[in-house]
Amino acid sequence: MANTSHGIGGLAYDPKKRTRPPELNVLAALVLIILAFEVLGQLVVGDSFLFNTRDNVDTLFNEQRLQIIILQVAIVGIIALGVTQVIITGGIDLSSGSIVGITAMVTMSFAQVAVVNGNPNPKAIFGDAWMDLPVIVPVLIGLACGLFAGLVNGALIAYTRIPPFIATLGMMVAARGCAKWWSKGNPISFPTESYAAIGKGMWPVVIFVVLAVLFHLIMTQTKYGKHCYAIGSNEQAARMSGINVTGHKVLVYTIAGALAALAAIVLSSKNLTAQAGMGVMYELDAIAMAVIGGVSLQGGRGSIIGTCLGALIFGVIISGFTFLKLDAYYQEMVKGVIIVGAVVLDQWRQTKRGRG
Amino acid sequence: MKKFLIATGFAALMSSTAMADGIGVSMALFDDNFLTVLRNGIQEQADAAGLSVQIEDAQNDVAKQLDQINNFIASGVTAIIVNPVDTSATQAMSDAAAAAGVPLVYVNRQPINVDTLPDNQAFVASDESESSRQGFIEQCNQWKAAGKAEVSVYVMQGELSNQAAVQRTQNYYDAMEAGECAVKVNVIDQQTANWSRDQAQSLMTNWLSTGTAFDGVLANNDEMALGAIQAIKAAGIDMASVIVSGVDATQDALASMQAGELDITVFQNAAAQGGGALDAAVKLAAGEAVEQKVYVPFELVTPANIADYLAKN
Repeated sequence: MANTSHGIGGLAYDPKKRTRPPELNVLAALVLIILAFEVLGQLVVGDSFLFNTRDNVDTLFNEQRLQIIILQVAIVGIIALGVTQVIITGGIDLSSGSIVGITAMVTMSFAQVAVVNGNPNPKAIFGDAWMDLPVIVPVLIGLACGLFAGLVNGALIAYTRIPPFIATLGMMVAARGCAKWWSKGNPISFPTESYAAIGKGMWPVVIFVVLAVLFHLIMTQTKYGKHCYAIGSNEQAARMSGINVTGHKVLVYTIAGALAALAAIVLSSKNLTAQAGMGVMYELDAIAMAVIGGVSLQGGRGSIIGTCLGALIFGVIISGFTFLKLDAYYQEMVKGVIIVGAVVLDQWRQTKRGRG
Repeated sequence: MKKFLIATGFAALMSSTAMADGIGVSMALFDDNFLTVLRNGIQEQADAAGLSVQIEDAQNDVAKQLDQINNFIASGVTAIIVNPVDTSATQAMSDAAAAAGVPLVYVNRQPINVDTLPDNQAFVASDESESSRQGFIEQCNQWKAAGKAEVSVYVMQGELSNQAAVQRTQNYYDAMEAGECAVKVNVIDQQTANWSRDQAQSLMTNWLSTGTAFDGVLANNDEMALGAIQAIKAAGIDMASVIVSGVDATQDALASMQAGELDITVFQNAAAQGGGALDAAVKLAAGEAVEQKVYVPFELVTPANIADYLAKN
């Protein structure tokens, strides 16, 4: 156990060697990217990225663009909150995108209206008795769906000791299968007004921000959060010091599943439809947001604030590319470079600090 | 090779349900909405004619599909209908059927050897180069009727690795070049939203944030058209001032059209393709000659004729 490189085993703490928090670097990167788009915008398309240049609108900033930057990442952001705490414990969750798929399908089946434009609902899944239910019914069923999937993930990882990568990979494939099976591949549409209200307008952002604040407090202020960092830094040590590692892991993955389910509810409500292919690749976007935000895949390091900044960087990039009218091909290429670049920079900063 | 053939033959005997005559059908995929309508079209036409059909699911597996065809041949069907999993892997299927003298009809997806098919083989589908073109020409006419001579539009593409996305986008430009569009069209920007309603919503909002005036949206499918509409409505723009077109005539799209939002979509008649394939197969089996390429036309859907399509898919 004499692992001196971890800094506990007798190394003196030198406050001068303590660099600024990693979140500040991510924030700097975010500001830099925004500046780059502002400059490129002036040069290439002759318009401002952030500021309002329209005569008919009386605002300083281009509020519509500020809104979409956050709105388009809010739903994956909700997933990223759950993924962040999973990665901090040293694990990984590949199943969140598929959990979004199956949850959206199941939830939407219980959120349908009986009559569309005077005709019976052409996409009806269940009989009339299951139509026009109060909004709480589909929401609770959806959350239960995600909780269950997360619980299975957690139990597999904690009790059978198989690597999280494998357990959640299995869930990813199986849950996607369930999503396709649920309605034999048919989309499910036409939700009730009250269900549609969940994802209307800027509500996805409100839900995301509230959850982000909540999880920031949980990760920094509670025993639960401290245990996450402890397990991720050194699982053996955490076990030795009396932390219930097994139970904690089950809880972490269950919470991640519930957050994925919540994202599915917001997503299907916002789009007024559920499809078996919903949420494909969301897990990777969520992981990328966390990683760009400085969450270490080795575990033990990272924060909710970092992940939120990572999500914002994603949003700024998507909007910036559309603003510059850049072809979709290049967008994906640059996105890949940014993900890898962020980690390389972080690694480089880490070793520099390590050498002092 | 011989052993392999014997093994295949044995497997064929083991796995094929006994079927002295009738028509064998191998579908690329069962759990696909569109292909299910097509499959039902085959079944209904067969029931009406009192024919027996055996429909198999190739589960998107090229090898499995070829096995099914060989099974059909071994069990002595009078004709085979194939909805190819992979359109570039059809030569082997044509060869197998031709060697056994069994008529073969490809449906919905155009086989790579479509121009060299033997006499007793045919192809029934809709012509993709017509799909979005019809909708676009109607869109141009509506702009002209609204008194516009020059319009600015956004183009939403499907997944870029997908042939249909490339073709449907090309159709717009082909129609413009051929002078089939009644007004002058300026494309402000063209981006992909990967067939997805959610991505289309985000993309449209990003476009709206530039504040550029526009007259309409050309979407490669209905899902993206609906996403664009949701974003335009959220921005408080009057849906009457823009014209949005999609392709597919899905139930969601028809509901949106009834609500006065979506202006134009195009219906691909899956049931008619299925029925047409069965007709061709029956004729070929009876030794009659048929057109080797049978095209089932796309049908334009607007608020004027929407009632005809509400129960079609």
